[in-house]
Amino acid sequence: MNMMIGLEVHQQLATERKMYCDCPTNYQDVPPNTNVCPICTGMPGSKPLSPNEKVVDAAIELALMLGCKVVVDKPTYIQRKHYDYPDLPSGYQRTSLPIAVDGNLQGVRIREVHLEEDPGQYDPTVGSVDFNRSGVPLVEIVTEPDMRSPEDARKFLRQLIRVLEFTGKVRPEAGGAMRTDVNISLEGGARVEIKNINSVKGAYKALKFEITRQKARLGRGEAVTRETRAYLESQMITTPMRAKEMEEDYRYIPDPDIFPLIIDGTKVQQIRERMVEPPHLREQRLAEQYGIQQAAANVIVSERKFADLFEEVAKEVDPKLAATWFRTKLKKVLNYMKLDAADIKFTPKQLITLLQMIQHHRITPEQGELALRELVKKPTDPKELVQRLGLERIEWEDLELAVKEAIRKNQKAVKDYLAGRKEALNFIAGKVMELTSGRADPREILKLLRAELLKKI
Amino acid sequence: MGEVTKAKLDQLRSGELSPVENVRRALERISKLNPKINAFIEVNNGAVAQAEALERKLKRGKRAGKLAGLAIGIKSNINVNGLRATCASRTLEDYVAAYDAEVVKRVLAEDGIIIGMNNMDEFACGSSGETSAFGATDNPAAPGSIPGGSSSGGGAAIAAGMCDLCLGTDTGGSIRNPASHCGVVGVKPTYGLVPRQGLIDLGMSLDQIGPIAPDVYGAALLLEVIAGKNLNESVMLDVSKASYIDKIDGADIKGMKVGVSPQFVEITDSAVMNVIDKSIESLRDLGAEIVDVELPHIEEALPAYYLIVSVEFFSATRKFDGRKYGKRIEDVCGDEVLRRILRGRYISQKEYRGKYYQRALQVRTIIRRELMAALEKVDVIVGPTVPKLPHKLGTKLTLMEMYAYDYLTIPANLAGICGGVVKAGEVDGIPVGLQVQGKMLGEGQVLRVMRAFEAVS
Amino acid sequence: MAEERQKEIERSAEEIVESFVKATEGLPSEREMYYSQEAYNVVRPDGKPSSSEERTEFRKRFIKIMPAKDEDGNLRVEVAKWVK
Repeated sequence: MNMMIGLEVHQQLATERKMYCDCPTNYQDVPPNTNVCPICTGMPGSKPLSPNEKVVDAAIELALMLGCKVVVDKPTYIQRKHYDYPDLPSGYQRTSLPIAVDGNLQGVRIREVHLEEDPGQYDPTVGSVDFNRSGVPLVEIVTEPDMRSPEDARKFLRQLIRVLEFTGKVRPEAGGAMRTDVNISLEGGARVEIKNINSVKGAYKALKFEITRQKARLGRGEAVTRETRAYLESQMITTPMRAKEMEEDYRYIPDPDIFPLIIDGTKVQQIRERMVEPPHLREQRLAEQYGIQQAAANVIVSERKFADLFEEVAKEVDPKLAATWFRTKLKKVLNYMKLDAADIKFTPKQLITLLQMIQHHRITPEQGELALRELVKKPTDPKELVQRLGLERIEWEDLELAVKEAIRKNQKAVKDYLAGRKEALNFIAGKVMELTSGRADPREILKLLRAELLKKI
Repeated sequence: MGEVTKAKLDQLRSGELSPVENVRRALERISKLNPKINAFIEVNNGAVAQAEALERKLKRGKRAGKLAGLAIGIKSNINVNGLRATCASRTLEDYVAAYDAEVVKRVLAEDGIIIGMNNMDEFACGSSGETSAFGATDNPAAPGSIPGGSSSGGGAAIAAGMCDLCLGTDTGGSIRNPASHCGVVGVKPTYGLVPRQGLIDLGMSLDQIGPIAPDVYGAALLLEVIAGKNLNESVMLDVSKASYIDKIDGADIKGMKVGVSPQFVEITDSAVMNVIDKSIESLRDLGAEIVDVELPHIEEALPAYYLIVSVEFFSATRKFDGRKYGKRIEDVCGDEVLRRILRGRYISQKEYRGKYYQRALQVRTIIRRELMAALEKVDVIVGPTVPKLPHKLGTKLTLMEMYAYDYLTIPANLAGICGGVVKAGEVDGIPVGLQVQGKMLGEGQVLRVMRAFEAVS
Repeated sequence: MAEERQKEIERSAEEIVESFVKATEGLPSEREMYYSQEAYNVVRPDGKPSSSEERTEFRKRFIKIMPAKDEDGNLRVEVAKWVK
């Protein structure tokens, strides 16, 4: 069934001060209504401070990351958007006109990017409000309804998170730093807006539920009316929030207490130049520049520091080898130890040394992985590490001796193999591994064994 | 004439009068007169203690602030920490201000003693002093007549000698109007000269806080204390503090170009105009050159104003939802407040914006241009403050008749220029004020003309 | 009664709007004047947030004037109508 899905993503920015006041932006580890002042609680007579400059710059950078055209050299007003809700202390939200338009992220068009402030936290079931979050700066990213399935939406959101976190300018996703309003219309039905979604999973589930609900209605011959619904996370359903056949009229006016912004073209250029390369573009470049597989590049750009490390290493190690190692073994070790690339303590040089040893067959890949694990736990010179752990690749002569010894000591297995039982080979290979304390490459072992046993035929 | 404030300050500085004694006298006077005049909604119970603290500080040899020992009344729409900023409305009748407005901080820093919260028209929506939820204010200079508004309590308090100085607010004439009716001095500063942090809004792009005083010196002194850039708000002129009492020293207006407009005559009652004409003659006698200026569209300023202020007031009152403090405004407010809210709500609708709000802002541009052009030709523009004499308290007026009081004061608010009022004379014992308007940041010139006039009247 | 009063006030509010528009009919179109001065990009740098001392004082007063609150200092308001 045809459907159109569009998203309005609200992303918190990483600043120390709130957007229009100097309160701290930490709202999660403090008691309720602690990081507040007359401005972010909407006390009578309170006036905003001038907008937080870092927010404007960060928004421009995010917009450029998303391939948008920044609105330059004409006034961008900060407007008052009026509506009544308990978490909105002044009865209006300060929201800017678009600072950028017409972007694109992996095939989904970005309609606009603008600045907003977060309202307070309202618990609708209990009826309580905490204004700690009120005034935290947000950037809102609005897409065109280009997504065609919940899977599309999920994929887009994951990509978007990657791009945003890559800039280092946003608060990490945990704890509601990114919230999404989802708009969906099925063929034959009106547009439904779903609010109160706090995670990518939530967006996906909300859409799945909503599609089922709407299909059922249409199937019964009932209309799907235009409305706003709330997503209830615990039950994974959507429920009507307010019925509106018409658009709510927010009665926008430019905020008389805040002068408009005019973004200067030169500043945009400067930001563009010092900007961190966005992951989706970096992925492309890595694949082309280093001749590595798209899938590997994709994993490598999952974290900016991870990709930085890769490019450092690829200068002195075969990029394809490095790519494989980054994509599989290093990622595996990091995941297992629950570390981000940012937590890595070893130096690039140390990793280069290790990978060069693997590249030049000084140690086997399996030994390399062991060494890597140790290296992550405690950075040290890899050469010394390998020696200490006795991981050095065994010399060819010693391997030959070990193979011959294993053949001598396991005559029954040899007979079985020669009689056609292939798995006996692995058994003998295992014995070789024991004899060599794992210092031989299993592939080498098998090669040698076959050659030796061939002689016996 | 015009020596009251200076004399009081001399007494305080010489020790002839102590701050505590001054405050006690003010409190006694208030206690005696307020039941009839109703200029104060709340008296500051901590005033004597503050005066005592000041005396201790002075005894220790600390420098005395510019307002040391003076008893100052604050309009009830300005936040004074610990006192109720009721805006003369049931909405905020129990709202104990949780912070100090910037101007209050500045008054306290110069050792002014806050004596109490002045009565006013509810939420500053009036020009008569009759719409307070706490009862109308009487005019001490013309008992039984309205004192004017919306800074009715301030004008009356000064006229009755209940305190030394008052802070009022002016959006469409609310300082100048009562100053004229009560026969005292009032100044509306240039928009953006005086901080609005802590002022409960009527119209954000129009409001200014200003002094009400028995004489020009007092007004200049208080203006000096409150004016100047505030880093803790955004929409302010980038001006540092300046001295205004310097500007009026030995005020000499020989050779100054003083503008008069034939349009004023068209709008104003002849009784009032007679007094003004005599004043203009006095100015001529003092050596000023009287120049005709045309203000062809001055009358259209009024409708533009009422459209703009309604929209801004609607926006400003969205925070009065009764959840965080006070009560929901629409539930308990008076007629004129509700009228402006509903009007604002009506004309800020999406489909009407162009026709009403934006149109009014265009007219604003025209008015501003006319006034600026006129002020290119002259140093100040003088004329009547109000088109007619104050009516008797309780007289029923149509809406338009009430709004008509504002014809001559509104243009200065729309344009953002400054304007002051000084007593010109009387008609049957009822005061008539001369309005002196100046360029943006032209307070010096305005005060000089006012002082020169005051000295000979 | 309250309904009637509101209707009457609303009527008087809107009626005067039309006369206002009429009064300014003759004037030409112009650029809209939103602000008394042309100023743009008045921004402030990000940096060290406000001190907890200032905020502690305000918090006490803020909580004191709340019409309804809980022991943690949350503001208590209505429960959402759409909550099941």
